[in-house]
Amino acid sequence: MTTRQRTTVTVNGRVYEREVEPRLTLADFLRHELHLGGTHVGCEHGVCGACNVLIDGRASRSCLTLAVQVDGAQVTTIEGLRNRETGQLHPIQQAFIDEHGMQCGFCTPGFIMTTLEMLAENTNPSDEQIKDALGGNLCRCTGYETILKSVRLAARRLRESSAP
Amino acid sequence: MKAAPFDYHAPPTVDSAVALLQRFESEGIDAKVLAGGQSLMPMLNMRVARPQVLIDLGRIAALDYIRTENSMLAIGAMTSKRAAEDSALVRERQPLFHAATQLIGHRPIRNRGTVGGSFAHADPAAEYPAVALVQDIQMKAQGPHGVRVVPAREFFVTYMTTCLEAAEVLTEVRIPALPPGIGWSIQEFAKRDGDLALAGVVATLRVVKGVCEDVRIAAFGVNATAVRLAAAEAALQGRPPTPENFARAAAAGAEALEEPIADVHATPAYRRQLVRVYTGRCLAEASARAT
Amino acid sequence: MATGLPRLPDELPTSSVRYVGKHVKRIEDPALVSGTAQFIDNFALPNMVHCAILRSPHAHARIVKVDASAAEALEGVVAVLTPEDVKRWANPHVTSPAGWGTHCVAVDKALYVGEPVAAVAATSRALAEDACELIEVEYEILPSVGTAAAALAPDAPVIWEQHGTNVVQQRTFDWGDVDRVFAEADHVVTNSFRWNRCGANPTETFGCVCQWDLTDNSLLSHGGYQVPGFWGLARSLSLNLPANKVRVVSHPQGGAFGGKGGARATDIAALLSRKAGGLPVKYIEDRMEYLLAGFSQSWDRRYEASLALRADGTMTGFKVKLLDDQGATTETYGTISVAKPLAAFTGNYRIEAARYDTMLVVSNRAPAAPYRGYGPPPHFYVLENLVDMAARKLAMDPAELRRRNYIQPDQFPYTIPSGNEYDSGNYEAMLDKVLRLADYEGLRREQAAARAQGRLVGISVVNTVEPGVFDWNAYATVGVQGVGVPEGARVSVDILGNVTVVVGFNLQGQGQFTVAAQVVADYFGIDMNAVRVTMASTDVAPPHFGQGGSRLGVAVTGAVLGACRKLEAKFRRVVGHVMGGLPPEAIELMDGRFRIQANPGVGMTLAEVAGTMLGRSDLLPPGMEPDPTATSVWTAPNRNVADDQGRCRSYLTAASATHVVMVEVDRATGRTEILKYFIVDDCGTRLNPANVEGQLQGAVAQGVGAALLEEYVYDADGNPLVTTFADYLVPSIHEVPITQRDFIVTPSPVTPLGAKGCGEGAMHTTPAAITCAINDALAPLGVEVTETPASPLRIWTALQQAGVAD
Repeated sequence: MTTRQRTTVTVNGRVYEREVEPRLTLADFLRHELHLGGTHVGCEHGVCGACNVLIDGRASRSCLTLAVQVDGAQVTTIEGLRNRETGQLHPIQQAFIDEHGMQCGFCTPGFIMTTLEMLAENTNPSDEQIKDALGGNLCRCTGYETILKSVRLAARRLRESSAP
Repeated sequence: MKAAPFDYHAPPTVDSAVALLQRFESEGIDAKVLAGGQSLMPMLNMRVARPQVLIDLGRIAALDYIRTENSMLAIGAMTSKRAAEDSALVRERQPLFHAATQLIGHRPIRNRGTVGGSFAHADPAAEYPAVALVQDIQMKAQGPHGVRVVPAREFFVTYMTTCLEAAEVLTEVRIPALPPGIGWSIQEFAKRDGDLALAGVVATLRVVKGVCEDVRIAAFGVNATAVRLAAAEAALQGRPPTPENFARAAAAGAEALEEPIADVHATPAYRRQLVRVYTGRCLAEASARAT
Repeated sequence: MATGLPRLPDELPTSSVRYVGKHVKRIEDPALVSGTAQFIDNFALPNMVHCAILRSPHAHARIVKVDASAAEALEGVVAVLTPEDVKRWANPHVTSPAGWGTHCVAVDKALYVGEPVAAVAATSRALAEDACELIEVEYEILPSVGTAAAALAPDAPVIWEQHGTNVVQQRTFDWGDVDRVFAEADHVVTNSFRWNRCGANPTETFGCVCQWDLTDNSLLSHGGYQVPGFWGLARSLSLNLPANKVRVVSHPQGGAFGGKGGARATDIAALLSRKAGGLPVKYIEDRMEYLLAGFSQSWDRRYEASLALRADGTMTGFKVKLLDDQGATTETYGTISVAKPLAAFTGNYRIEAARYDTMLVVSNRAPAAPYRGYGPPPHFYVLENLVDMAARKLAMDPAELRRRNYIQPDQFPYTIPSGNEYDSGNYEAMLDKVLRLADYEGLRREQAAARAQGRLVGISVVNTVEPGVFDWNAYATVGVQGVGVPEGARVSVDILGNVTVVVGFNLQGQGQFTVAAQVVADYFGIDMNAVRVTMASTDVAPPHFGQGGSRLGVAVTGAVLGACRKLEAKFRRVVGHVMGGLPPEAIELMDGRFRIQANPGVGMTLAEVAGTMLGRSDLLPPGMEPDPTATSVWTAPNRNVADDQGRCRSYLTAASATHVVMVEVDRATGRTEILKYFIVDDCGTRLNPANVEGQLQGAVAQGVGAALLEEYVYDADGNPLVTTFADYLVPSIHEVPITQRDFIVTPSPVTPLGAKGCGEGAMHTTPAAITCAINDALAPLGVEVTETPASPLRIWTALQQAGVAD
């Protein structure tokens, strides 16, 4: 029997303190301890990107991270994107709706979180840069065209909304 | 796929990490170091690796740095690959190492994966060990008997195995700055962008008075460890940088290769072909960069 | 089928169609971008425990002994399911042909690596996996059959002792005078082809939560179930439960692309629940389990095929000999993929005679499963490559050779030699449009210039027919019985005029809920957002099938329209009566108002009518039920029973597409780069253009995977060598070309609103298009590649063997 450990994680701005088995992944912690089911698990070996979340602002595979490793860290998941007061969707989420950037939607939170990091660093990415950023997220439904369009639209809207 | 149970420690210093590893070794307990987790975690999840204890180096802030020592780049082992990729210092002093970093996986992998991790994990298809062989990168390690610095050619022993002892921790990677005038290239072949390479080549050389000098070529993804292509180097050394000479050197290097790995994606003959092709391409690119 | 349904969108009772055929936002999407959609692993029941499955590491082995005592003793383990339990409680799965299905675990023998042997329910999945490792199984390893060829060898081990043979079925079909046609041909082009296993790989694997109720002997099954009713029936048979005591609740799925339903997994979870005293048991298949033994592997085929032509290029005959490795059992209906090609056997061409010689065998590989296209994609890979080989032999342009042989627009409905009837099409118009879109002449000039530089550039022009809206009779040749596939919808209006549509299936990504809402909204002239579409569990759902065979867009449209029409009839009766005893015929529905035909200014809205029906019984016609609800069950019209050669009217619609692809092959590495990709398709009325475009581009991505990247590799003994996503290569954004697309519309004359089934789409065409382009690139070197995927290794090896590698 292994020793449970305490981990204190801030997820979407809220602090959670839990005792967990060391082997519990961040993905399973989010989904089953915190009941934030929007982060999805597709492969558990770091290839598909469906489980991507932000850890201290960096896109990371939550299936390859232990819950105990993020003790003290800030995690952002798909649930943290909607405006808490107004309920309005984040521009990236809205852009994915407007450009039909999903079909089954299972990979979508992973794509949106990776996009969130990319657009925070690069407000006007070229298609090549978008593809480089999203190369580690697999989609089986869309063939990626509408995902590309969604990200382009999100980038444009974010630029426009921040322009003076 | 859930990992087999393990205990977890996150020591705050290298000394305490070494002490833990030493203790577990003496107690006959199987302990493994966790760095970025991008290679180890899949193995844990699949139960291919089942250590009883994980020693997470992620709390050792003292291992996260990029600095210069004279003309050397000293990178702490727990520096993320992402930090190395974003570092102006790395880009300017070691464009080859920087380019190799950008070839590794995808951004989210580089966000968590560490510079030291690729060295310690020693995957045959990793880029860093090949760069280490042509750039005389040194690995600094700390263990119960103190600190030692190991050159790359001694560090990588065989498939997924380095010379690090059970209670030793890789603390720093020391990379000489790329000297002025050196041309460099790193290229690899994978069926999907960002996948582990089926084969790849790193090359550096100078062109002095119209001939190639100081030719260094290494291949990765083809044998148990990255390998210098001595036959290719010898074939080009002292010769003009022409396509014919590159092709001859590439052929010599591929022919002299120890029998390459066979797997579902590539036969040994095909890997040999890839080494030949990419050696030629890297030499052309390196010579174009040489000044 | 309900007669008098609108045959085209402009026949809907609206002066201006607002939703059908337009770009609309999907009603499914807000939940998906928010992460709130309830995929099965987001669902829990109180006191739920978790299942892990112990799987055979051997391809063929007798189960001598299973000792679960150490596992049962582990703290946190609630129950262990053994082969003894399963033998006692359950039956083998039903298959077609009958008799080639096993229990959900290996009860006597394990027949493939990954076959379940036992299972554990525990307080966590991790703990359940720990417990599986404590189960001791004694195996007696048996010689295995690793390939189809090995299955047919004279001294082959017999996998199914009760059958005494590894041959599931051998049948030859002869349509027309094939021997004469081939004897009289001026040219015969023959070749062999190998299609290696690839498969669906949705991003979400299968999962279920099962709860056995010991008091009333019933089962509740939540999960990613594609065809809930059908699956529930199958579970009642395998689990010895009355059919009306199995309740299946289908959750939205993260993709399916073939068949999502986890028959074994569900039985295992259900039986664990039974053994655990009725606790709910959750099982989530992980990716490695999926790759090994899920509904994951399809089309393990060797073909020999011939095309007969006259000197002028007229194709007169087509012969196919197929050896299909079904894997260890036929439980996942891999047999149907051998039958389905009959629905479009001769593609877009007027070929008059055909032969189909089929041999289905078992081996110790994983059972073959359905995958998008369900048989025709490898079939068209063969046909279209043969057509190109014929074009090269006749020194004819491949587009022109095809054009010469197309079924003409005035020949529809067209019955092909294998018996199915194509509803409509204009293949020449499609060809002309795509050649223009691609600037075909310009591409050939580019190719010539590239060839002069020694580059291997290839171009293909490939077309396929996509059979849509399947019927059971299509699979009669592999023992499937019955005619008629239902799809029901219940449409109701509440007292405030809000509309709810209840169907029997859930979402997989194709957007059928949005299509249903579009149709209802245009029918009743209301806002699309006022329509709620929801799934009902199998105990209360109308008769249904769900997704499959490119049917659901058409079928749900038919069901919804039928229900709307019935509702309209009721409402016209109410309004007529309220308006002073007018007959229903005096009332018309237009733009959401039920108005007096003779005096259109007078009428009632949907809300007013429903409110009257539910709130003013005094105003209703005497004896009329206060029930603003209607159910309609759609089924394809005019189907029939297959004859002894499998001929019947099976798939209702024939969509089609022509692809033009330009590739370059790197002579040094064998890598293929897709340079340009053009598509013109025809799927009749496009009910939701964004859905159609998404299906096309998405299927192209899977076609690229099948053509270049994806392969399940086994060793000679049946041990799988591709077991993770590191080796099974699903295309990323870098590997998939963004296609340039246009379309034509030849509406279907036999479906509601004229739509054709299109969900499987480009999967029929892309593997053929890419491989034909590769072979066009390699043709000047005298090299061809006739095995999929056309990986860099395969292409380079072919060049090497021909002595023309770089």
